Amino acid sequence: MAHWSTFEKETERETKKLIRCISGVDDEEDQNFQLALKFAWSNFRFHRYLDVDSHKVQRSISGIYEKLMVHSDLSKAGSWMRLTEEFLNSPLPNTDGTKTDVHYSILSLLLFLSGSPSNTNFTERPRVKEAEPEDNFDWGRYLMEGEDIDIGPYPDTPEWSEEESEDDDSQQPISREDSGIQLDRTPQEDQDHTNKTVPVTWTVGEPDARAWLEQHVVTPYWVAHAPRFPHSLHLHSNLLNSLLCCTGNSLVLYWSTSRYLLCNIIQLSCDFWLLCYRLLSGVKKHFIFQHHDGKVSVRNNVVVTHLTSNCLRSVLEHIAVYGQAVFRLQRFIDEVTGYSSEPCPPSSGSSYSSKKGSEPPFRTYQAFVWALNKYFTSFKEELTTIEKELICNDETVTLSAVLERLSPHLAQIKVLHKVFCTGVAEVPPETPNVVRASHLLNTLYKAIIEYDSVGEASEQAVALLFSLWTETVRPYLEIVDEWIVHGHLFDPAKEFIIQRNKDVPVNHRDFWYATYTLYSVSETVENEEKLNDAASGSSGGDQASSNRQLTMVSFLKPVLKQIIMAGKSMQLLRNLDCKETEQSCQYCIADAERKSLYTLFLESVQSRLCSQEESPTDTVTEQQATKRSLIKMQSIMAQHLEIDDVHDPLLAINFARLYLEQSDFHERFSGGDFIVDRSSQSVTCQTFELTLRSCLYPHIERRYIECCGNLMKTLKKDYKLLEYLQAMRNYFLLEAGDTMKRRAGSSCSFLNVQLQEAVGQRYPEDSSRLSIFLESIDPSRKKHPVNNLEVLTLSYKVPWPVDIVISTECQKIYNQVFLLLLQIKWAKYSLDTLRFNGMNFTAITKKLEGALAEEAKAKEPINQQIHRMCLLRVKLMHFVNSLHNYIMTRILHSTGLEFQHQVQEAKDLDQLIKIHYRYLATIHDRCLLREKVSFVKEAIMKVLNLVLIFSDRWQAGFGAWKIESIDKMESDFKNCHMFLVTILNKAVCRGSFPHLESLALSLMAGFEQC
Amino acid sequence: MASAASANLNAVRETMDVLLEISRLLNTGLDMESLSICVRLCEQGINPEALSAVIKELRKASESLKVQKLPQIEQYCWKEWFLL
Repeated sequence: MAHWSTFEKETERETKKLIRCISGVDDEEDQNFQLALKFAWSNFRFHRYLDVDSHKVQRSISGIYEKLMVHSDLSKAGSWMRLTEEFLNSPLPNTDGTKTDVHYSILSLLLFLSGSPSNTNFTERPRVKEAEPEDNFDWGRYLMEGEDIDIGPYPDTPEWSEEESEDDDSQQPISREDSGIQLDRTPQEDQDHTNKTVPVTWTVGEPDARAWLEQHVVTPYWVAHAPRFPHSLHLHSNLLNSLLCCTGNSLVLYWSTSRYLLCNIIQLSCDFWLLCYRLLSGVKKHFIFQHHDGKVSVRNNVVVTHLTSNCLRSVLEHIAVYGQAVFRLQRFIDEVTGYSSEPCPPSSGSSYSSKKGSEPPFRTYQAFVWALNKYFTSFKEELTTIEKELICNDETVTLSAVLERLSPHLAQIKVLHKVFCTGVAEVPPETPNVVRASHLLNTLYKAIIEYDSVGEASEQAVALLFSLWTETVRPYLEIVDEWIVHGHLFDPAKEFIIQRNKDVPVNHRDFWYATYTLYSVSETVENEEKLNDAASGSSGGDQASSNRQLTMVSFLKPVLKQIIMAGKSMQLLRNLDCKETEQSCQYCIADAERKSLYTLFLESVQSRLCSQEESPTDTVTEQQATKRSLIKMQSIMAQHLEIDDVHDPLLAINFARLYLEQSDFHERFSGGDFIVDRSSQSVTCQTFELTLRSCLYPHIERRYIECCGNLMKTLKKDYKLLEYLQAMRNYFLLEAGDTMKRRAGSSCSFLNVQLQEAVGQRYPEDSSRLSIFLESIDPSRKKHPVNNLEVLTLSYKVPWPVDIVISTECQKIYNQVFLLLLQIKWAKYSLDTLRFNGMNFTAITKKLEGALAEEAKAKEPINQQIHRMCLLRVKLMHFVNSLHNYIMTRILHSTGLEFQHQVQEAKDLDQLIKIHYRYLATIHDRCLLREKVSFVKEAIMKVLNLVLIFSDRWQAGFGAWKIESIDKMESDFKNCHMFLVTILNKAVCRGSFPHLESLALSLMAGFEQC
Repeated sequence: MASAASANLNAVRETMDVLLEISRLLNTGLDMESLSICVRLCEQGINPEALSAVIKELRKASESLKVQKLPQIEQYCWKEWFLL
């Protein structure tokens, strides 16, 4: 029994009931019951009877009727036929339909069980039908949503009765504010009486329910009637005529004193659509919508017969929102293009267009408007297509169906409006163009990223925004292209984030630093700040970003430094005298064939997408699903490329695949900084940035490398930059020390002559560039002989453009090092030229012997003193030589080698300037010229001064000074020496100044010998 | 929905009333309950001729049960009738 089906279980149940009913045996466990049950089942399953034949049954019915008629039992015969007919047309509990096989089966059963019906007394019993409960629900009020409006006369009634026509004077005239509608006094043909609405309880299921609806809820405008106004004699029925012209006489207008009732005989929705179409097309004057202060709203007094006011309003307000967006966008387009249908006073001129005719056009806004215009053109084409279909009247079209068809466009309008509000409308009127352009591009950029992260659900929005961005960014890229290729920053409207300072000419000393200004907008402070490009574009940005968050054109941020370097380099190159004219000719030829940055960008996008077409497609269904979006994007990108005469229909198809097919992104464009998986959501949020990284930035990088390399090559080759750097080292760092000789007590002019003569022997070209300046000596300030050299200033005249690298500030540092080196060399020279002249020495000793014989016996012998002097001299020589070797070899020479290597590797001028500054800072530090280590320098200066004093005394001879001065010199030297050794050892042991190790060791060695 | 169900119920009730009248006219001897059972069995697809045969046999058997007979003969009668 467990395996029985539901049918068998139900049959079992019914059979048991039947057995109980007929046999009277109630106990199912009874043997008789079980036997009966088995008997019944065996007959039900294994009988050999034929199926019921409805014709046979019908014949039996007819036969019984004839038999009863023969027996003159007319009432029974009549009852028989009536009952059988009624039964055959009545429904059964579980069987649908009438006169089914089940009906005939039941009749057949009864016929089989019948027992001589003609011999029985039968009287048909009357059957009482149950009265159905009345439905008291007020359907009229429910459908009308509680509104109680006078929906006007009905088709069978005239607009006004005879009584009304007699009271014409009492009617208030309709104002002319509403498109000139007035009561039409044309006499009518029909003079039927009006039916007033009477609330009637409406019962469901009644045959005249439809008629009730027609009478009490809606006027049957779909029923064709003769036009009530075949012509109007009234002078002012403008609206009627215009509407009739529009709708082809299919519109019938009823009006009462306060409301306007629109009824369309054929298609009411068609007319509504027509009016809504005009709203979406940007037309201002409507019958249903009204414009007030730039806001679109629905008129309150428009009524239709088949919709309640709330329902109608909700639909129309939904359309009005989009109409409002279209109106705003259209107004923006008109203002930017300079075409405005409404004259505005000059004082309240639009913030988008130029306030004066002489102002240059704002190209970014113009490009944006162009993109918007192209979109609206395609949108209006779609609207026109729908309108044509409506006019043809081939099929029924409802307003909701049309809105459903337009829903993708309406969603796009919403996206456009949102971008417009954020990127344009919210910007204050007096904002400069640079901020407005940057803000608009950033808004589009962020919108693309935002919608891109949603995934496939916002494909169309991303496609639309990308096309918008591509068009809007064109002027920006053209400005960049013109600057980095031709060195000319053409930006009349000042919309680019980098502006040229016109008052700084190219050959100005501060050209490299003060020519351009980078504009940034601070997010936190929300004030425009000017950042002078002090060192370079990147360093200026880095310094500012450490303090607050700055925004600029986001998509250019990664390559901003390269753009600035390339632009400045190109401008510098343009103004340099190029010695090889062939290069300029080749440049002109190449420029004519050159593709602009914008074209290269589009081509890169195309090539990127074409490569993805080779990847295998998954399934046919996926292809079908994306086909429509692919075709849409194709048209957008094809339009862009056609402008530059590049025709490729595959672009848009592959562009849509850019967001769908992600399998090979990781292999192709992995930057190593993000993890990519196959889900489209995680990959598409990187797609736009990947596009920029692979399609835009490489072109800018390539141009940067090219023109900065050209500039470096020109500076090195044509302007001998390396030679000038070498000259600075030769003269200031005394690498050509044999040419630098000192003439004590010489005047400035004499020194210059001497210098030029000395330099001219070996470096004739530099003899005219070098000059010496002497400062006036303040006698009170003079302390030590070694400081005498501080009045000297060596100057090397560096021509433009090399003075960008070797600036005046650099020469000051060079001079400081030169002074130190001069002092060391002077001390060294002083010691090196000391001679122990035998004659002189002996004469001095003999002279002293006689005069000071007695004193000499009491004091130290002279030979011993001379020996001490010699020893001191050697110690001083060791110290000075150690210092000299340290400076010249360990510091200057090795640093110079590193500097030369870095100069060779420098890619751009900015980098070269940095390298040079770093080199100077290094030698300045390592020559102990920093303020922090001034005490060390003082100790060294003391020793050098001691050397000079020693030398003077040596030259003067023994009689010129006292013997005690040797003790003082020795002790002074020992103290300074010990101090320096201690300080240097500490520094070396700390490990912070590894370059001092050699000096410390050599000084320590000399110290131990003392 | 409720009114539709009640209307349907009324229609079915009327149908059964009509059927009962037909059954009375034909003198089938079925009461409303038996008639309803038979209608349900027919709707489930039971052959009416087989059903009528079963009903006739059940009636015969029940008639014979009413007659006072020996238990052995009763059993024999039942078996004889139903096992044939």
